[in-house]
Amino acid sequence: MIIEIGHFSVVIALVLSLLGMGASFIALRSKSSEWVQVGRMALTLIFGLLAIGMLSLVYSFLVRDFSVHYVAMTSNSELPLFYTIAALWGGHEGSLLLWVFILAAFSTIAVWLHWRTQPAIMPYLIGVECLVIFGFLALIVFLSNPFERLIPAPMDGKDLNPLLQDPAMVLHPPMLYMGYVGFSIPFSFAMAALFSGRLGEEWIKVTQRWTVFAWLCLTTGILLGGYWAYYELGWGGYWGWDPVENASFMPWLVGTAFLHSVMVQEKRKMFKVWNLFLIILTFSLSLIGTFLVRSGVLTSVHSFATDPERGLFILIFMAIIIGLAFGTLMLRSNKLKSQIELDSMVSRESVFLFNNLFFLVAAATVFLGTLYPLIVETWGGGKVTVGPPYYNAVFMPVALGLLFLMGVGPYIPWRKASQASLRNNFLVPVLIGLCLMILLFILGIRNTYALAGTFVVGFAGTTILADFGKISAIYARRDQVNYFKGLMTAFTSNQRRYSGLITHIGVLVLVIGIIASTIYQTEKVVSLHVGDEFLIDVYRMKLLKIHEVEGKNWKAQEGVFQVFRGSELVTELRPQKRIYNQSQTPTTESAIHAINMGHIFLTMPDVSPEGVAVARGVINPLILWVWGGGGIMGLGVLFNIFRPRKRED
Amino acid sequence: MGRKKIGILVSVLIVGGALGYLALGNFGENLVYFFTPTEVKAFSSDYYQKKVRVGGMVVKDSVHALTEKTGLTFELTDGESTIPVAFEGIPPDLFKEGQGAVVEGYWTHGHQFQSHMIMAKHSEDYMPMELKRAGVELPKKDFMKSLQQ
Repeated sequence: MIIEIGHFSVVIALVLSLLGMGASFIALRSKSSEWVQVGRMALTLIFGLLAIGMLSLVYSFLVRDFSVHYVAMTSNSELPLFYTIAALWGGHEGSLLLWVFILAAFSTIAVWLHWRTQPAIMPYLIGVECLVIFGFLALIVFLSNPFERLIPAPMDGKDLNPLLQDPAMVLHPPMLYMGYVGFSIPFSFAMAALFSGRLGEEWIKVTQRWTVFAWLCLTTGILLGGYWAYYELGWGGYWGWDPVENASFMPWLVGTAFLHSVMVQEKRKMFKVWNLFLIILTFSLSLIGTFLVRSGVLTSVHSFATDPERGLFILIFMAIIIGLAFGTLMLRSNKLKSQIELDSMVSRESVFLFNNLFFLVAAATVFLGTLYPLIVETWGGGKVTVGPPYYNAVFMPVALGLLFLMGVGPYIPWRKASQASLRNNFLVPVLIGLCLMILLFILGIRNTYALAGTFVVGFAGTTILADFGKISAIYARRDQVNYFKGLMTAFTSNQRRYSGLITHIGVLVLVIGIIASTIYQTEKVVSLHVGDEFLIDVYRMKLLKIHEVEGKNWKAQEGVFQVFRGSELVTELRPQKRIYNQSQTPTTESAIHAINMGHIFLTMPDVSPEGVAVARGVINPLILWVWGGGGIMGLGVLFNIFRPRKRED
Repeated sequence: MGRKKIGILVSVLIVGGALGYLALGNFGENLVYFFTPTEVKAFSSDYYQKKVRVGGMVVKDSVHALTEKTGLTFELTDGESTIPVAFEGIPPDLFKEGQGAVVEGYWTHGHQFQSHMIMAKHSEDYMPMELKRAGVELPKKDFMKSLQQ
């Protein structure tokens, strides 16, 4: 009964989304504020109804009502409570519902938040959001309904895929969706600006926090996915250029370009068409990402084999939204000529220009690599995949270029930089970068990318640290306080800028982690009996015993390994080979020990009936910097979002 | 157009061109094509040095562990033809006899497939499309029936 209430709520929400579109259309034609209020009411109700829909599913999961098809497919009676709730987005139908629920929540919040200050935008905002909501709800109601019954009900459900029974995986989809969907708010404001002809800087300023919030969610989602892949898939890496990873990476790349290039418009009133183009592209790529993952056209760990109808529906719907957005942009672009032109190649504007160029080339590369196989196959050219070496070959230089610009951008003046300012700002950082590079060369590092990476990271890092040093000194002298207090005052006096620089520091830390753990990873695979040992890097691993252990819904063979460095015992690692009871699916659980900012990573992928274990050891130097860098990036964004409001806001 | 503007345009074109070359230049070399065992058997010697992927079903009772290295030998079939595979490394968790698998490697000398990677693919609802096409999907209906019993 409860599930029918949820089903009914979602159907009503679908109807209301039509009402919301209609109301905002009438409101625009008749300039009547009553109809805008009707639209707001419709949107708010949609949010409430979808919440009821979500809750009814949660309830069905909790009471383990296996007469609900979706519940039977993604959970069973042994599944722990935490994962039982998370199973809501463990499958296709539920994750679509989550997607549209977040969309409704964000747009409702946006409408109430900006209602007083942005009355002229409201009908457009409501209309655009209702259109997107309508598309996804239609998909849910007609083609992938999580509320469907399964009669007669099975005794027990099938299990949630064991690989998904993991805390990082529980948070990964919601974060990713919040990122995708978060970009719909600046997108809607951009569309409103286009439709209404109010093409100033206002839409950018109003949505700035939304943009960085969406970016934060997307970044977190991607990092969580990498973290999950790292310890759950047991291959010791965190990024494999899997099509589904790529699908979330494309909007991230263009979104990052967007949140940089809006600054040029705010400060210099340039790049107007370009910014509209970027945000439309970002949201379009979010939709394409959803399409790629949810239509099952891609082969990857995530893709579900689904009926082609669903894919076709998303494709058509996506084409309508993207076509509408880009079409309007083209019609309006003649009104968007900026009066100001670039003054000089050596200026902050041009750094932003190249920043955007690099990000877009990166996005285009991922797009090509991800979609080329689809295109080839559609035209009957056979099945093909694009290998990781391709992406690595392109991304290494692109990343180096971007990091270099990251050191230059914040410190080069707008309009035109003088020789003197260039020397003042960049001479010392360049020298420090070079010194670091030479130092590493002397220490025996010969890899070109590691050396080039050291240079740019040293250069960019020095510019930022020097900046923090300088301003804290200035403020400390001004207020007669110590450096730390000076730094705090300086930080809050221009929090947007300095929070951005903290994010940049996070990027640098992340890059160091990526370079070290990619280039200097050591791996070894061995077969061994109990009592045997093997050497990897400087560590000696000894298999003490293999025994059986048991969890709530799984049984496992656990290998007990002692790790020595020389004769000193470093740690004990216990990798497992698990079999989940319900589905009888095996998984390989890694055991990890953190040491010197790196990881000793051990899996035991197989134990033969004769007791011969296969062990795989990986030493990942500085991998903690990857996650630590991600954390610092997030911290910077939080400082940005929660900065005190100023007049310019 | 002023000189400045031309200068900016030219430098954007140069950098963009270099990046574009980077993105397109080595694209072709990094493509890996997918074949069925039947197609692999018909390979001409041109293909022996090319990295390819092959999808099919792992033949029952064909899996044997390698003795001197960590790895396996097994046979892969599409129902029509069967090829022998020598795999070096650790097979993914879901690699099983009688189940679908996609292997990547080389059809060296035209008699054995040398593989270094088996794709970790899930069964039933996680069935990759390649396998669906290769015709080794467990019919979903049977699965639902087994749930209801």
